[in-house]
Amino acid sequence: MTNEELKSYIETNYASLLTHNEAGKYDLLFIVDAANLVSVCEKLRDDSELLFDYFCNLGGIDTTEKFEAVYNIASTKKKIRLDIKVILPHENPAVDSVQTVWPAANWYEREMWELYGIHINNHDNLTRFLLHDEWDEGYPMRKDWDAPDFIRFPDL
Amino acid sequence: MTDLRTEEFEINMGPHHPSTHGVCRLLLTMDGEKVVKVVPYIGYLHRAIEKICENRTYAMCIPILDRFEYVTAMSCNYVFSLAAERLAGIEVPERAEYLRVIMLELNRIASHLIFFGTTAMDIGALTPFLYALREREYIMDLFEMTCGQRLTYNYIRVGGVSKDIPEKFIPQCRETIATITDKVEEYKRLLNGNPIWKVRTIGIGKLDAELALAYGVSGPILRASGVDYDLRRDDPYSIYDRFDYKIPVYQNGDVFDRYMVRLDEIQESCKIVAQALDGIEEGPIRAKVSPNFKPAAGETYTRIENSRGEMGVYLVSDGTKKPFRVKARGGSYPHLQLLPEVATNCLIADLVAIFASFDVILPEVDR
Amino acid sequence: MGIIKKLPVYSEKIPGGGIVTTSVEQILNFAQAKSLWYLLFGTACCAIELMCTGASRYDFDRLGMIFRASPRQADLIIAAGTITKKMAPRLRTLYDQMAEPRYVIAMGGCTIKGGPFYYDSYSVEKGIDHIIPVDVYIPGCPPRPESLLEGCITLQKQIQKRKLGDWQEK
Repeated sequence: MTNEELKSYIETNYASLLTHNEAGKYDLLFIVDAANLVSVCEKLRDDSELLFDYFCNLGGIDTTEKFEAVYNIASTKKKIRLDIKVILPHENPAVDSVQTVWPAANWYEREMWELYGIHINNHDNLTRFLLHDEWDEGYPMRKDWDAPDFIRFPDL
Repeated sequence: MTDLRTEEFEINMGPHHPSTHGVCRLLLTMDGEKVVKVVPYIGYLHRAIEKICENRTYAMCIPILDRFEYVTAMSCNYVFSLAAERLAGIEVPERAEYLRVIMLELNRIASHLIFFGTTAMDIGALTPFLYALREREYIMDLFEMTCGQRLTYNYIRVGGVSKDIPEKFIPQCRETIATITDKVEEYKRLLNGNPIWKVRTIGIGKLDAELALAYGVSGPILRASGVDYDLRRDDPYSIYDRFDYKIPVYQNGDVFDRYMVRLDEIQESCKIVAQALDGIEEGPIRAKVSPNFKPAAGETYTRIENSRGEMGVYLVSDGTKKPFRVKARGGSYPHLQLLPEVATNCLIADLVAIFASFDVILPEVDR
Repeated sequence: MGIIKKLPVYSEKIPGGGIVTTSVEQILNFAQAKSLWYLLFGTACCAIELMCTGASRYDFDRLGMIFRASPRQADLIIAAGTITKKMAPRLRTLYDQMAEPRYVIAMGGCTIKGGPFYYDSYSVEKGIDHIIPVDVYIPGCPPRPESLLEGCITLQKQIQKRKLGDWQEK
């Protein structure tokens, strides 16, 4: 299945759930409502035409006005790939856990919570693991984060 | 013996431990020699590579990303350059593509040689370590004569490669791969029939395909569990479709199969390098790219097949000369996450063997 | 160590006692400089170069250096690789566990001043010399095996120049 076919397949079968976004260069990027995330992921995994059985990556993005979480998924059987993006508010961002769909998401979600402060609902082990134990300086990957001993690179 | 009181106890393996291959801490709950529970703790090498990249130009990101996976730094260079090229729509010259493939495959061999040496050492055989690092030095010589560095290369740049290969590279490279192909046969003769090696590896740390896929396992570990999935073929990039090579797949998913997949891959990589050396032609090595180049706004997830599985970069550009967000994904991250599932209820000596066979490297996990 | 430290105090009162001090000094320094057992402490990229130096081509053993997995058996700690804020207390613990006299080599830019992670990094310790005292610094990112060998030879020379009275707790 080529990217074009995949795009038209998703646009016909998931018209109400996924919206195509032009920002995705080279790959397909679709936007999904935070409320529908888990159910959409389950459908994508179980759809016999798609079979997205493989979780590649999850990354948070801080655009200073809002937060975004991008799920990169792939299918090992159909050899296709897809990005799904969830857009979250900057105040109290929270997103449902997809680890029931792909257990691999567990650590990625933990990391996103730790570095971006995006809360993960229904996560089984939301504890600190990358930063040191006494860390109390907030969420370092946010664009507005700062600390007294943080040395910025000179302006380019 | 029935009323002998036994108690579970906890021990820390790491963060400083020779067989954790870096600074990983495993909190083990033990029942005698049996591991009841494994909890990995990471972050001892969290260096904020992603944060640093957000405040550098694209060209300056590449040396930082070298340190993201230093055993195969060429792959890190490559995956970032590829992502930037896809965003900016840059065409890479033919000769550069060949040079990239040669370097990527040589680096894959170097990485698998380290795996072979350290795994055998963890299981208790010191000799393979000395053999493997001896052969690895030949590859380091090739890298050194090309880009002047042994470990962190900064060789593959956006738009091509930084320098052309010197004249004596091609004959020396042919010699090296011929030596390594022979030596791999020797490694197999050295270990495959060894009764201790067999007892320590066959049937240990079984991982079935379903569990592996659920946990996002990739690369040689996935192929040792019987899933034929290799990004060089299944999500094509560069010019891999021009070469004739096999993708080794084994079925049992134990330590022995993971080791065999990697040894076979060394030989297949040698074949690819030989074909690339035959096919390479004269020409430019770099497309014209300004040092402060600005790709169009957009985002892409680019992934390649690294020696430890899928290596990917999620690159977001906002149209300025600095990347807006770089999310690096290393193959070891899901593998370490999977470790508790595989290593529970095995002996502590087998835990070391399983950990070694996953070939986890910690900077890729912590970043 | 107590006796050795006090040896010059007693021997130099005796006429010709300086010979005893010098000979003991030379023997001890020679023995220590030529059998530096190092702790296998590698955190990042430099650890791979440390491995290469220990392996076939560069062969650490010819300097009398053998790796030890336990800090109790080691004389030298080669801090190879980035030390993060999370790792720093562990490095201090390992150093405290080593027996006197002990030496430290800071290998690579990260251990000297944070290296490439000096700017913009919220988690890297900017140099290990405010955690443990360092004897020899080896610059490079990562340093080549030859530089590491050179650093170790420098340390051996330092040890051989040492006077008995200089033995003190750091």
